[in-house]
Parts: sequence; structure tokens; C-alpha cells
Amino acid sequence: MFLENLKLAFNSMFTNKMRTFLSLLGIVIGVGSVVTIMNLGESVKRSITDSMNIGGVDEVSVIPTGANAVFSEEFAYTFQDNVLGIESVSIYVNTNATLRNGQETKNAQVYGVTSNYFDSSEDILYGDFFTRENNLHRDQVVVLGYDLAQDLFPGGDAVGSYVSIFRNQSKQYRVVGVLDDTSGSISTNTNNYAFIPFNTFDQRLKKVNAVSQYTIKIKEGYNATDVAADIKSYLSTVASSNDYYVSSAQELVNMTESVTGYLTTFLAAIAAISLLVGGIGIMNIMLVTVVERTREIGIRKALGATPKTIRSQFLVEATVLSIFGGVIGIIFGVVVSYVVASAAGWTLYFSIGAIVLSLAFSSAVGIFFGWYPAAKAAALDPIEALAYE
Amino acid sequence: MIEKPVIQLIDVRRYYLVGEYLVKALDGVSLSIPRGSFTAIMGPSGSGKSTMMNLIGCLDTPTSGYITIGGEMTNGMNEEELAYLRNEKIGFVFQQFNLLGKVNALENVMTPMTYAGIPHKERRERAEEMLEKVGLKDRMKHLPSELSGGQKQRVAIARALVNDPDILLADEPTGALDSKTGSEVMGLFQELHEEGRTIVFVTHDRKLGSQCPNQVLIKDGRIVEGDVFGES
Repeated sequence: MFLENLKLAFNSMFTNKMRTFLSLLGIVIGVGSVVTIMNLGESVKRSITDSMNIGGVDEVSVIPTGANAVFSEEFAYTFQDNVLGIESVSIYVNTNATLRNGQETKNAQVYGVTSNYFDSSEDILYGDFFTRENNLHRDQVVVLGYDLAQDLFPGGDAVGSYVSIFRNQSKQYRVVGVLDDTSGSISTNTNNYAFIPFNTFDQRLKKVNAVSQYTIKIKEGYNATDVAADIKSYLSTVASSNDYYVSSAQELVNMTESVTGYLTTFLAAIAAISLLVGGIGIMNIMLVTVVERTREIGIRKALGATPKTIRSQFLVEATVLSIFGGVIGIIFGVVVSYVVASAAGWTLYFSIGAIVLSLAFSSAVGIFFGWYPAAKAAALDPIEALAYE
Repeated sequence: MIEKPVIQLIDVRRYYLVGEYLVKALDGVSLSIPRGSFTAIMGPSGSGKSTMMNLIGCLDTPTSGYITIGGEMTNGMNEEELAYLRNEKIGFVFQQFNLLGKVNALENVMTPMTYAGIPHKERRERAEEMLEKVGLKDRMKHLPSELSGGQKQRVAIARALVNDPDILLADEPTGALDSKTGSEVMGLFQELHEEGRTIVFVTHDRKLGSQCPNQVLIKDGRIVEGDVFGES
């Protein structure tokens, strides 16, 4: 019986191709947009994650927020003793200061950092980073951000020259390096920063009361999120949770993924509304079909078809119709997402979930919106149906 | 032992409400049709013969009275039970053929067996056999639109007979045919009667009806004796 119904459904679907196509358009567009959005969402998510993985994901930052005296320079050395999986800990303090070279003056953030601060990400453009010895000897050396170097040394001869840094009093610093342009990067933009050794900062620029940030580099093979959790539990034994804030790039990645996920779901939900509209299209065409085929229904009833038989015939027809629409929609969606992804230069990832979901959804739409017309067909009075012209 | 009649109507009434008016389409009809008989139900249009045909064909149930078809009482049956009865005991032949237009002759004949739940292979064999019997062996794969009126009616008769029903119920089966084809179809009914089929032949044409061995005349919803057509 089911096979017969299936055969009848295909038969009537291909009898009037144009009408079938038009009535399926809603569901094709609905499924197509859901599949496109889910595919593109997946692709965007992965490309964001990929770009974040380039640098910084293996870092956890601890930022003291209160004036808790425990967050000293020495505290940096305690992390490795208490938490597994830490490669190194760098620290920084920062303050506002004015930098001058001849007539050129510039306000900038001056960072006091240990030499391993540069291990993680920043690339040097000219010269070199300062060394561990520079820090120990409290040398007056500075590494300039890209823009800062451009502004203070328009001639481009920054490395080896001297720059004055004002804070209460002016002191001369030798430029040892200039950082690469970091605008457009996902990590901190250092273009307007100046970096001096931590001890120099403490001694010659501003007395350090508390470290601004500890940057902890995770050892290879350890999960950044797990290590961050261990760091948090270690910190909770030494200070109140109001006194610090822990941020890991991994958390940021996780958050970005979930935000992209929400956005994708939201857009897909909007697109799913068009699936609903598509369902109404199916219902409409099925109602027309039932009226058109009233006489056929009458004949079938006279031949012994029960109301249930008639209902399943039309239900199968509506479902076949909408699944067919769903399949076309999936093909359409895959093609569109391929075109968009290659135009935008993303690597295309297919969301298998979206494809499975769309198929399930479109058959559900067929059953749901086919039910009423099918029930109407089943309820027809055989005498009236046979007399229908 | 006297065999029970295949169709029995006892004081059957069928009333309709049309707007505010009560239409007494059948008003107290009793009738017995024995197995193997060939009966014409005759009457002018509006006499109630269509209502009677619908009742005998299990397409409708009476307002009051009792109807038994092949020994089963139709009173109080729901749509599903009536459908089974139609499928099993009644074979319809209509004036307008009423073939399913999108499927070929063979599939038309197979349809009642589909509803009876007969397996595909057997359906096919029986349908082919039946079409051969009505002389359409070489037209089986044709759509109804590719068949002549007489051929269509033969397909309809094959379809009506394929589930081996108790009653062959024909409603003006020659009404849409020319006289030559009409008499051929009539001849086919005669043959089926000789084979022992119970045939109920509904017509407004007294000449056709008079060819049947038994005749029932209806007027104004009642069975009447004598001439219902107003002729002497």
C-alpha cells in the first residue's frame, strides 16, 4: 500500500512540473537558506578560531584589580611552583608618559616588562629586544611600537638613537628595537606602546606597587583552559577573588565560538520561518489537489478505500513533495555556500547537522501541513465526490 | 433450504433535509434480490432509484429501516466498515465509467485488490485474467484516455468483478455509449448473468430494463406496480 502511495505521489508530482516547482519554491528557499547560513556560520567560526590559534591561545593572563600587596614582581615565580604546565611567566607594569625626540613629542603608554615578555608574540622590525641583563642592570633602553617610532623618528633612524621619557623628570633612553606593525592583528595592538625593562621602570620611571599583569605561557601539551582553572584555584588560596582577574585567550576563543554559534542559530531560526512559509505553500497546493481530485477520491472510495487509506495517500504525497523540496534546497544551499565561501576566501566546512536537520524538518513540514488537506480528502462524502464535475 | 437473498431492504426510508424541506427520497421500500438474479431498477429521474443504488452500494446508510448486503446489515456501520463492504461485496459500474485517469487499464483493475490487501503478483495476474475475459488483452497498458467508450466500460466491468463481489451494481452503464456499443455491453452483462452473477441494473430506460428478467419500478420513493413512466 505504501509503495502504491509513493508511486502515486511521484506520478502526480511529475504530471504538473511547473506547479510542483512553484509550490516547492518556499521550501527550497527555506531549506536552502538554513543550510547556507549553517554552513557559512560553521566556516566563519572555524576561520576565526584558526586565526586566533596562530598566537596567544597558549597564554593565560592574571590581572590584579585591587591593591593587594601579594601581586609583586616576586609573585611571578610562585606560579611555576604551584601549577603544572607553565612554560614561563612574564610580567608588566604600565603608566602614561611623554616621549620626546628633538621637536617630536608624543604621549604614550610605557610598559615595564621582563625580557621574556617578548617571547610570546610581538615581532621585531628593526634592532632587537632588550635582554635579561638590561633588566638586571636597570639599563635605560627602550623598544618602540611601530607608530611611535614613526612619529618620533620620521627619518626612520630610530634604532641606536636616544629618546627622552618624561615622568616628573626627563631621562634619556637608547632605542634598541622597533616592533612590527600590529594593527589588524587579533592580539594587543602595540603600535603606540613603548617597552622598557621592568627594573628600569621600577627604579627610574615609577615605583612599582603592584604588577599590572602576569602573562603566563602554557607548556606545550597542556590544555590552556585546564591550566587556567588550576591557576585560578591557586590564586584563590592567596588572594580574594575581587583582587584579580584571569583571562585566557582560550576562553576568548571559546566565547567567540559560542557567540558565532548563537548568531548562526539565530539567523538559521529566522531562515526557518521561511520553511514555515514553505509549509503553507505545500498545504495550499495540497488543498488545490484535493479539490481537483475530488472525483478520483470518490472513485477510490467506491472501490473500497477507507478514509485512512485516502488520508495516507495524500499525506505521503505531501511528504514526498516537501522532502523533494528539501533535497533541492540542500543542493541549492550547498552551492550557494560554496560560492559565497570561495568569494570571501573562507575554507568551507559543511554543517552535516544542518543538512540532516533540514531533511527532518522538511518531512515534518510535509506531514504537518499535509495533514489538514489529507484529512479533508478522507472526510469527503463518496456520493458527493462521485458526482463532482 | 432457501438461500438468503443477497440484497434485502426492509421498510427502508432515506430522508434528506434540503434547506428547510424534508425530501423523502425513499419512503418505505422493501425488496429482496436473490442470488444469481438480474434485476433492473427502473424509474424516472427523481424517483429515488439513485438513492436506492447508493444504499445498496453501501455508499450511504438509511434514515430508518434495515438493509442487508450479502448477509451483513449496514445499519450503524462506520465509514471504514462500509468501505470494507464495498471493497468485498460490491462491484460498481458507472455511466461515466469513472476510471482513474492517470493510471493504465491494468492498474485500474488492480486498484480494488490493493485496497483488499492482495499481494502485488496476485493482483497483476488476476487483473490480466479479468481484462482478457472482457476482451481487452491487448489494451492493458493503455491509459483510459486512449480507450473508446466501450473499452472503458469493459475496463470498469473488469475492475468491478476482480474482487469477486456478491453484487455487480451498474448505474446506467450504457447511458454514455452509442447503441451498438451499448448492446455489446448489455450482452456482456447477459453473459455474466448466465455465469451466475447477481446483477442490479439501474436505469431510467424502460426498453433496456425490460431486457432484464426481474424488474423493480420506483416512483416518488416507493416501489410501484405497473407502469411508472406514465405510458399505457
